[in-house]
Amino acid sequence: MPFDGHRPDDLSTPIRLANALQRLNDWAKGIVLAVQEYFTLAWKAIRFVFARPFYGSDLVQQMDAIGVQSLGIVLLTGFFTGMVLALQSSVQLKTFGATIYIGRLVSASMIRELGPVLAGLMVAGRVGSGIAAQLGSMKVTEQIDALNTLGTDPIKKLVTPRVLAALIMLPVLTIINDLVGIIGGNVIASAYVGLPTSLYWRTVWEQIAAGGFTFRYIPNDFIQGIAKPFVFGGIIAVTACHYGLKTTGGTEGVGQATTRTVVTASILILIIDYFMTQVMLALFSE
Amino acid sequence: MTTDDAPGRPGTEQRREGDRARVSTRTEVRQAIRSELASDAPSDLEHRARREDAGMRPVIELDHVSLAFDEPVLDEVSFVANEGETVVVVGESGTGKSTILKLILRLLVPDKGRVLVDGDDITGLSFEEALKVRQKMGMVFQGAALFDSMTVFENIAYPLREHTDLNEDEIEARVREKLEFVDLEPDKVMQQMPAELSGGMRKRVGIARGMANNPELMLYDEPTSGLDPLTTGTITRLIMKLQRELGVTSIVVSHDIRSAFRMATRVALLYDHHIVFFGTPEEMTGSDNEYIRDFLGGS
Repeated sequence: MPFDGHRPDDLSTPIRLANALQRLNDWAKGIVLAVQEYFTLAWKAIRFVFARPFYGSDLVQQMDAIGVQSLGIVLLTGFFTGMVLALQSSVQLKTFGATIYIGRLVSASMIRELGPVLAGLMVAGRVGSGIAAQLGSMKVTEQIDALNTLGTDPIKKLVTPRVLAALIMLPVLTIINDLVGIIGGNVIASAYVGLPTSLYWRTVWEQIAAGGFTFRYIPNDFIQGIAKPFVFGGIIAVTACHYGLKTTGGTEGVGQATTRTVVTASILILIIDYFMTQVMLALFSE
Repeated sequence: MTTDDAPGRPGTEQRREGDRARVSTRTEVRQAIRSELASDAPSDLEHRARREDAGMRPVIELDHVSLAFDEPVLDEVSFVANEGETVVVVGESGTGKSTILKLILRLLVPDKGRVLVDGDDITGLSFEEALKVRQKMGMVFQGAALFDSMTVFENIAYPLREHTDLNEDEIEARVREKLEFVDLEPDKVMQQMPAELSGGMRKRVGIARGMANNPELMLYDEPTSGLDPLTTGTITRLIMKLQRELGVTSIVVSHDIRSAFRMATRVALLYDHHIVFFGTPEEMTGSDNEYIRDFLGGS
């Protein structure tokens, strides 16, 4: 390499400043590039849904892995969250003599917030890490290159089925989560507070109805409760595939990809949940 | 590229210090390679000679290819592989050997220069067009890169399912044929998962998958690395059998100079991002360039 006139140990202040700016520039560019890659991947994954060949068996397999196999943890989190919600609200509501409203509180929290977010976080942990680890291992053992070499677009073969499966299955999981949570609330309401089951379910419905309806029959709470997991599903799958396919550096890289996926997906879910809530509240507040 | 302008190895002083013990053995190894060349089975030499005057249609052509990521990887690399020829690219680790294969597969695009496959420049192709060009090639990866969620059968059938209209019976017949070609018993291994196979078997399945589509060009990335000497011999013979019986053009990337010499019609030596030697194995052993001699002895 030719000597370029600057030795690193005698840098003058302007050069140091320029170097610092350069680093800042590189860092910002890196972020912009990553965001661009992320959205390109998401866009391609969705576009390939409509392109031949369609890997149907991969889709079914992923729906099983992402949806059916996540049922256990979703049932558990839903049930216990519903129970704890009922327990906490019963204490608060008792001071106002308003324990009949336990059902309203549980259903509002579960359907609008906790159902989607908790299902999202649990699936991000369970499925997101799995996808990132699998694609990451495939990347470092050159299986991704092998797919490319054999004339298959890895995005079409690997990313599209996963994204599609997550988009379909997360709302389904969330509905189950909501339902089990409300049932959990029911158990506590009748066991600890002595609230009749029929009254509990009537207040649950009152709360849903109070949110208003779209097209006369679709409760707004349901729209909110389904739109969120749909978006979260996309976030989880795209984030996992993004980090998985970018994996470098052997098994250590696979570990990093997994960690990053879970952290990034979880944070994105919480942030986007806030903004979606704000949009939904504005839409449905009339 | 000629042999004579090859630069001496940098840092030779320090390296020599540590390698003192090996220096004496180098000459012996060089001798061993020479004698191995001489004692090669006549069929091998014959085959090599036949290859040399085989058709001169270039299948792969690298034309002043340069590539850099953060640092230069390849600088003005040019070589040609003619039809039916086996070009072995040798060099130390980390000199960009595997990058050459990725360029031919168009998994990477050069910064400068052109890569021609069958006379067509592939550098400007779109992603989809590149997928088509890749169907002419069979690639054998260093770690075999078998899909570990699929059985051996599914692995070999994969390119057939993707790109041909063969029905299930025809696919099975083809898979059996390829497994037999690589000396594996189809009934034994077909339903096994890649994780259950030994390293040598995985590599053979990798070769079977690479050749499933009957490609005109085979690419091998370190086909013998990480294998015991016996398996190395088996794989080397397999690669030679493939060129001999099917007339496939092959590009092999390797640092295993012994097996390289057995398979190669021509050897390309990569050093410091350049090709410093390109010629027949005989020319290479006959060279008195210091680096080439070091490389031959040291490996």
